[in-house]
Amino acid sequence: MVDTTKNTQIYATWGRKMAKPVNPNVAGKMIAKAKRPLLVVGSEIVDNGQLIEKVVAIAKKGIPVAATGHSITALIDKDIGAKYINVHSLGHFLGDKNWGGLDGQGPYDTVIFLGHKKYYLDQVLAGLKNFTDLKNLAIERHFMQNATLSFGNLKPEVHLEALDELIENI
Amino acid sequence: MSDLETGHFSIDDLENVQITIGKIVGAIEKKAKEEGVEVGPTPKPGISGLRDWDYTLLSRYQPVYTPVCDQCCYCTFGKCDLTGNKEGACGINMEAHQARETLLRVITGAAAHSGHGRHILHHLIELYGEDKPIDVGPSNLVAPNIQLVTGIKPETLGDLEEAMDYVEEQINQLLATIHAGQEGAAIDFESKVLHGGMLDHVGMEVSDLAQVSCLGMPKSDPEAPLVEIGMGCIDASKPVLLVIGHNVAGVTYIMDYIHDHDLEDKIELGGLCCTAIDMTRYQTDQGQKPQAKVVGTLAKELKMIRSGVPDVIVVDEQCVRADVLDEAKKLSIPVITTNEKIMYGLRNRSNDSAADIIEDLSSFKEPGALILNFDTLGEVAPELAIKMAKIRDEIGIKALPSDEELQELSAKCVQCGACEMDCPANLPIMEAMRAGVENDFSKFEYLHDLCIGCGRCDQACPKDIPVLNMIEQASRKLISEEKGLMRAGRGQISDPEIREEGVNLVLGTTPGIIAMVGCSNYPNGTEDLYKVADEMLKRNYIVVMSGCSAMDLGMYKNEDGETLYEKYPAKFLAGNLINVGSCVSNSHITGTAIKVAAIFAQRNVTGNYEEIADYITNRIGAVGVAWGAYSQKAIAIGSGCNRLGIPVVVGPHGSKYRRALIGKPYDEESWKVYDARDGSEMPIPASPEFLLTTAESIEELFPMLAKNCIRPSDNNMGRMIKLTHYMELSQKYLGHMPEDWYKFVRTETDLPLAKREELLKILEAEHGWEIDWKRKKILSGPTMKSDVSSQPTNVKRLCKGEC
Ligand code: SF4
Ligand code: SF4
Ligand code: SF4
Repeated sequence: MVDTTKNTQIYATWGRKMAKPVNPNVAGKMIAKAKRPLLVVGSEIVDNGQLIEKVVAIAKKGIPVAATGHSITALIDKDIGAKYINVHSLGHFLGDKNWGGLDGQGPYDTVIFLGHKKYYLDQVLAGLKNFTDLKNLAIERHFMQNATLSFGNLKPEVHLEALDELIENI
Repeated sequence: MSDLETGHFSIDDLENVQITIGKIVGAIEKKAKEEGVEVGPTPKPGISGLRDWDYTLLSRYQPVYTPVCDQCCYCTFGKCDLTGNKEGACGINMEAHQARETLLRVITGAAAHSGHGRHILHHLIELYGEDKPIDVGPSNLVAPNIQLVTGIKPETLGDLEEAMDYVEEQINQLLATIHAGQEGAAIDFESKVLHGGMLDHVGMEVSDLAQVSCLGMPKSDPEAPLVEIGMGCIDASKPVLLVIGHNVAGVTYIMDYIHDHDLEDKIELGGLCCTAIDMTRYQTDQGQKPQAKVVGTLAKELKMIRSGVPDVIVVDEQCVRADVLDEAKKLSIPVITTNEKIMYGLRNRSNDSAADIIEDLSSFKEPGALILNFDTLGEVAPELAIKMAKIRDEIGIKALPSDEELQELSAKCVQCGACEMDCPANLPIMEAMRAGVENDFSKFEYLHDLCIGCGRCDQACPKDIPVLNMIEQASRKLISEEKGLMRAGRGQISDPEIREEGVNLVLGTTPGIIAMVGCSNYPNGTEDLYKVADEMLKRNYIVVMSGCSAMDLGMYKNEDGETLYEKYPAKFLAGNLINVGSCVSNSHITGTAIKVAAIFAQRNVTGNYEEIADYITNRIGAVGVAWGAYSQKAIAIGSGCNRLGIPVVVGPHGSKYRRALIGKPYDEESWKVYDARDGSEMPIPASPEFLLTTAESIEELFPMLAKNCIRPSDNNMGRMIKLTHYMELSQKYLGHMPEDWYKFVRTETDLPLAKREELLKILEAEHGWEIDWKRKKILSGPTMKSDVSSQPTNVKRLCKGEC
């Protein structure tokens, strides 16, 4: 079992409400239980074959995928129905109860983030934290203070291991 | 006395009393009436003057807040936790506080530009007098922003003062609303943000008009000279004088001294940031060669100082690192401050003789001097550089670590990751250290272009490893090759150019204007700018550059060894590449849009902001890109564009501005305009779909640019061209057809010719549109009517029959 809760040093933003560090098995179960989850994938996966594999594996568990930036280029031929959207716009729409979602099936309740630039995602999460009641789960290599739950700061190899464990638990 | 609207009068018997009245309410209207000029409804609008227009924009483009800090510590009630949109002790909630923070940022930027404008205007009036005519090239509309906002049609330097007075008064009013216990509604802070942005463009315009008129800068000149740029173009074998900042006023005295004393070949004059751009423009309007070389942007500041190459550093104002003096001291480089905004605790030597100052600084009695007397500055800086070069040579100043030291330093690294976490770009420093131990420094070299030269890694490292110096040492070969060419800022787009190109822009046959502006906080290095400009130029967009982006673009060459400035002409025509100039020249970008409305469409400009902004919003396909936006000035510039309906995309770091303005394409109610012919409502496609937003990578940026150049008034040819680029760029960079392409189709002739049949089939099969296949015509499907003579407007009173 990978412990992803240790190194939760904050480098980007500040506030009183902070993400709870989470272990991959718990995160996995939470995703499995979510009624309307959405996996939001960022462009940092594009040159990282291993991360792409993990994204595909999560998607294959039935989680719809929003591909932000140009991450869609790495997912287009993976048969997981990923849809492109700008992450700042997505952050805006996610807080709107009238948004039909990427598939027209209505708003989401749990949003999972993977493959984003730390400083950029942290800002998008700041918006979601302050203005929505969504559950935001960061399964990034870095501690995302503004998520609801987040892995700590991890070495790349530990991160991959953690993602495997998470996938097993979905 | 009440008849006296403007001008001067003296009171007999009271000697030396002169009262100048230029701001009495109604004065502008009266003067305009006398001159037969029509004045719009809002000359010199106050904070609430354009509130209705702002509300129109903000109802379609809602503020999206992404706080960097969830607390507020403005007053001593606090600090207050505003998490979850809670209220603080004064009653303000998170939303309103974030909007207030944006406002503070915007007016800080506007104050920087207009403070600069006021300084240089005063200085030039002192030299040339109030009656010095404004001369910016072949234009009747010489001051589009000033005239639009204030109603003043300036003809002389003195006239610019009145515009400046207005800007300063308004900025003060806006600043007052930041105080605790003032505005409580986010949306009204937002309206104030837009007001601040508008003021910024007036302040910038004053600055550039004044300097272009007096300092011999290119006047709307597409043939403005090409100038050398890059760290590699500095000849370190000569005494090197480095100038940093944004206000060229004092520097011109240095340039004159060098010129008058035949020192041009004996001294190397280099500049960083916008002062550099303006130095290359100085006295070139009559064909004189530029005297200075451009080192680059803020990102090169610390790198250049730490290279040890400069012998003297002169700073003026804005975007100058606060640690210049400390860093320079370590390498025995004297620093001269020349502007009250930056004085670094140095002794004021303005009244001392040049010889005394040179003596004190060259003997290291003092690390630098404040010199506000520009005549003295003009002599001290170059003479001191010549003297210091020898002295520093003799001391044998050593700046960067040697290769052996690089390896030793790499070995000190304990791979703790602190540097990477603190690095604004999260650069892979640990990997470079690991390779460094093995004597492989290529990974440091790789970091050079990505690194914004902030020095945070050094501060973070528990082992005191000078990471930035290591990157620079490992990259010295790369740096020596960093040489390019930039076109010196040409100034305004002239009226005749607008007449020639305006129709193509308005009808959409020129696919759009891409204005690449702003600073050097890029997510992925400077080369991305080249890639963006190159792609859009090949596609016939007009690409307009300014400020730091204009510099960085000049550092890259195509396969033929040409920079884009060499390859593309610089007229205001499709497929041309324009550098308008320094930071304050950004006003010429909005000025161009205003000119299109005024000159091409014959709209009245004077004091008529709402109508012109409405025209631009619906008709001019322009998108601003501030890919490396870092400063408060950048968000001020962006907000000024936004109030005119010009959308702006910033790079991912721009999310730290904490607020964006993004529409909801799925909310059909917000995508409607009136047809000014009869006031009827017409649906429009969601473009531009934002006024301010971020993109993650340039691959994402490309289709965003093409799509957001689409405007309701495009004719079929224009829409077809724009849609073609949107589809192609989406396919090229995102690997797929954009999902929403069909929403922009009004009729079959909007479809790209080569793909028309294929796309019609998709419309029929996937979207249920009815097609008459014999005539290849769309019978039903589109939500919009295709009526190119319609007159889209957001302002009901501009419709026929309305008032
Ligand atoms: S300004 Fe208001 S929210 Fe901010 S610290 Fe003071 S009381 Fe608290
Ligand atoms: S100096 Fe360069 S490497 Fe160091 S923290 Fe700043 S951007 Fe990162
Ligand atoms: S902070 Fe210093 S010791 Fe730690 S990884 Fe970076 S360079 Fe190495």
